[in-house]
Amino acid sequence: MNFLKLVWQNKAGFVGFCGLVFYLLIITVGQWVVDFDDDVKLDQINSPPGSRLILLTRPEDKERYVSLADLEGHSVGVLEKTGGPAFVNNYANADAIKVETYKWRSSRGVPDALEGLAKGEVDALVMFSKLAQRFVLDSENRYFQKDYAHLTISNSKLGPMLLLGADTQGRDMFTHVMNGGRILIITAVTAGLISTLIAFVLGTIAALVGGMLDRALVALANFIIVIPRFPLLVVLAALVTLNNWVLLATLIGLLAWPALMRAVRAQVLSLKERDYVEAAVALDLSQAHIIFREILPNMMSFVAINFVVAITSAMYDQIGLIFLGMAPINDYTWGVMLYFGRSRGTLFNADSAAMLLAPVIAIAFFQVSLVLFSRSLEELFDPRLRSA
Amino acid sequence: MQALPAKSQTQPFSFLEKIWRNYTLRTVIQSIFTVWAVITFIFFLVRLMPGNPIEIYVNYLINSENLTYEQAYNRAASQFQFDPSASWLEQYFGYIGQLLRGNLGESITSTGTKVIDQIMRFLPWTVFCVGLALLLSFVLGMLFGMIAAYYRNSWIDNLISIIAAILGAVPDYIWGLMIIIICGVQLKWFNVGDLRGTFDPSLQPGFTFAFIFSVIQHALLPILTYVMGTVGFWILAMRGSTTSTLGEDYVNIARARGLSQGRIITAYVGRNASLPLFTLLAINIGFVIGGSIIVEELFVYKGLGSFLFWSITQRDYTTMQGILLMITIAVVFSNMLADLLYSRLDPRVRISGDS
Amino acid sequence: MEDNLVLSVQDVSIIYQVARGNVKATNNVSFDLYKGEALALIGESGSGKTTVSLSFIKMLPSAAKVTTGKALYTREGKTVNIFELNEERMRAFRWQDCAMVFQGAQNAFNPVLKIKEQFFDTAKAHGWRKRKEVYDRALELLKLVRLDPERVLESYPHELSGGMKQRTLLALGVLLDPQVVILDEPTTALDILTQRAIIDVLKEMQGRLGFSIIFISHDLALAAEMASQVATMYAGEMVELGTVDEIFYESLHPYTLGLLQSVPRLERGQDELTSIKGNPPDLIDPPSGCKFHPRCDFAEAKCAEKKPEFATYEKEHKVACWFPEKVIEARQGLWEKAS
Repeated sequence: MNFLKLVWQNKAGFVGFCGLVFYLLIITVGQWVVDFDDDVKLDQINSPPGSRLILLTRPEDKERYVSLADLEGHSVGVLEKTGGPAFVNNYANADAIKVETYKWRSSRGVPDALEGLAKGEVDALVMFSKLAQRFVLDSENRYFQKDYAHLTISNSKLGPMLLLGADTQGRDMFTHVMNGGRILIITAVTAGLISTLIAFVLGTIAALVGGMLDRALVALANFIIVIPRFPLLVVLAALVTLNNWVLLATLIGLLAWPALMRAVRAQVLSLKERDYVEAAVALDLSQAHIIFREILPNMMSFVAINFVVAITSAMYDQIGLIFLGMAPINDYTWGVMLYFGRSRGTLFNADSAAMLLAPVIAIAFFQVSLVLFSRSLEELFDPRLRSA
Repeated sequence: MQALPAKSQTQPFSFLEKIWRNYTLRTVIQSIFTVWAVITFIFFLVRLMPGNPIEIYVNYLINSENLTYEQAYNRAASQFQFDPSASWLEQYFGYIGQLLRGNLGESITSTGTKVIDQIMRFLPWTVFCVGLALLLSFVLGMLFGMIAAYYRNSWIDNLISIIAAILGAVPDYIWGLMIIIICGVQLKWFNVGDLRGTFDPSLQPGFTFAFIFSVIQHALLPILTYVMGTVGFWILAMRGSTTSTLGEDYVNIARARGLSQGRIITAYVGRNASLPLFTLLAINIGFVIGGSIIVEELFVYKGLGSFLFWSITQRDYTTMQGILLMITIAVVFSNMLADLLYSRLDPRVRISGDS
Repeated sequence: MEDNLVLSVQDVSIIYQVARGNVKATNNVSFDLYKGEALALIGESGSGKTTVSLSFIKMLPSAAKVTTGKALYTREGKTVNIFELNEERMRAFRWQDCAMVFQGAQNAFNPVLKIKEQFFDTAKAHGWRKRKEVYDRALELLKLVRLDPERVLESYPHELSGGMKQRTLLALGVLLDPQVVILDEPTTALDILTQRAIIDVLKEMQGRLGFSIIFISHDLALAAEMASQVATMYAGEMVELGTVDEIFYESLHPYTLGLLQSVPRLERGQDELTSIKGNPPDLIDPPSGCKFHPRCDFAEAKCAEKKPEFATYEKEHKVACWFPEKVIEARQGLWEKAS
């Protein structure tokens, strides 16, 4: 409780904290609430956000058939390879409805279905709003069927809305965003843990042991810092085949520790000078006691903050690698969404902006949450900053 | 003045010690040492990694050109600049010898092309872009960081700090993507396709207005992206540094001395507060150059970063090795320059034995 | 006498606005400073000595506010109220008319500028642009503080020792020939020999240049040596003001007496050393009546009820106490025991 109260004091930090809780919910509960949509749906390809399934009827039935419940005991038409069949089949009382499936024959499929409806083969058609718009409503469109223009939409909100639109295969992007963070975040946290652990252990050893070992470790850290990390990572990714996230996290973690290690070393050195540590040394307490009882507790805040920072930089490396196609893309993560967005040319398609913006914003907000949270951690641990 | 420790005269290595005391010389020697270490590291990286590129290349040659192992190996040796009959050590010295002559070997994919020539073609564009972006972001960061520190805990400070934190948190390539999607594709402020490459290919390179304009136009988005990705870091660093400088006695006393606000801000606060930032340049230069791979890919800007990525996708190991080496050397030397500049600005760094 | 009045401080009160309320850092302080005179302000930390001096050059922290009073400054027959100077005139006033040498000169100089640049900076800020003239004046002043002038001017601050920096700061302090020099614990961070040297230099400089000094210290011995007038401050108020002899040998306020007794003296034994009981009062909610009464050995009911006026006891000797006679009595007992 006390912790929450302190976090609340710093508004930006509180936003970051809430953001992290939100992401935590997404990566834990999110996958059960929202299933990953993996069905190719030809009618939804590159759909803009907000589109959904609608119900099309003859004008005289406009009031009669509004929902699937009204159609029990009647017939309804759907197009194959679209979202319609699955939607109707998932209806609780689906057996009561007679379903007519029309073939998807490129541009002929829809007119066939419309004709079926107009002729009374079926009582209603379940189709995607974008198709209805194109074939029935928009007289300027080249697919416009003026013979069937009299057909009316009896329910424009039949199915669930595609919050973020659909991707190049007509799959619901929202489900991808909800499911695409888990592996990314787990990898970033693992990489952050690895690099923080290495940095902490080596930094403490260097500071406490001193001498040649200290010099060697510092020289090593200085050396690794000088090599631009990301290019090295890309080259290494090309030499070692990165086919799972554990390997990726390890590689990122192994290259990210030097800067933090130098900072840890400096911290431990200054802690060593403090009175209580000097007192412990003078009392001849064991090395282990000094590390675990005197130094470690005083380093916790510092390590916690830097752990959070390490996660952000692991995220940078990881998504960068994925974006370039140098890391595993078999899990459909936000990074992979960006990768496909670019490699399949969606980047320059104005209609499918949401498809790229969604992962972009998901990543950006995650990073921002982490950084804001780490800033409030800093204030939390440093009373001097808190009072200011 | 404090006397120098007297031991320097009596020790046998006083000559070496004298060099060590000279900040400039020491920095240069350290940099050269680092470059050597990098060369060694990359040499062994390419030869000892599990997916040894030489072996891969040899296998590739055997399969694709029906060469015997012997032939393929010799061909690989000539392109990777080593004598297959020689020991590791001899190969290593041979490689360094070639490097000293400026020879980075030949490209594997386009036979007969020298890697160094390729690099020299692409390097200037990256140096131009990254250098300008760093300079801009450094200057902007100092400016806004100082403003935030001067008005600390006011709404101006809060606004600047939050924006800086957000800018710094989001990866630069994500900003690049946002610029393309929002400004380019959605709002149509510019045509992304027209801005590909380093300049308009229909123009003849030269000192003409149209050409220079085109160069700047094409570099604008990558530079904006780099600046957005790094300026937050500089703002926060400068804010922290300025805040502690403002608490220093000499700033207070400068006010008591009746100095004008302008003089205090520039020569007393600004100059002292910016000093620690020079030591941070090191990490930042490497970071921006690293980020250039993705950013250049994103904007299809033909610099060293996108060239490195191209060589990686083509499995052109000699080129890859050469570029990685060049990038690292560039970082080492920019660090060295930053260190030397720092020593010019902060008299305390120049060890007393210097004068 | 009136002609020589340099600074007349009348009824100055300063508060600090903090979250818990208003800290009454300085209350109705008045004193006159004459040409060539040295006034020492003594008292515990937090008694308002530094606050009142900072107000003369408008360098109080932003939370502080001067609520009442005037500080009349006279130069060449013209008198101004310092508190009414605008920003630009205040800037010109600083250092040229009133220089303040802060405690701890270790960080007094900009580490990246040579000492001579900092002399030039100061001169230039006050419209003195001839570098040669400034340089010569700096040489002269540095010689006066017994430093090797050329060498110091060409040095960076980190190349000077603490004592050298303090002396350089003194030289810089009088560069523009100010009438008032405020010295805020100028020797605190220095070793005893350096302290000695600084005090000697100060006295010599004052003798030659004739400026007035406000000397802030909790070191009574130094105050006794430097000052002609001494003022004791307690909880933001001036409780006693007199000449050095009056304050040290004929003190009238129990607090002054307490301060004197807490200083070790060669002629007295260790066991005689007593500290003043209790703690400095809370300045947001100060005690009623005489603020010192909770800590005073001589306090009676009256002290808690009514505040004693800061009034003349004899000649120039002023005190704010209901029962100075009790102090005189106690003091005599003390001296007798000592001898």
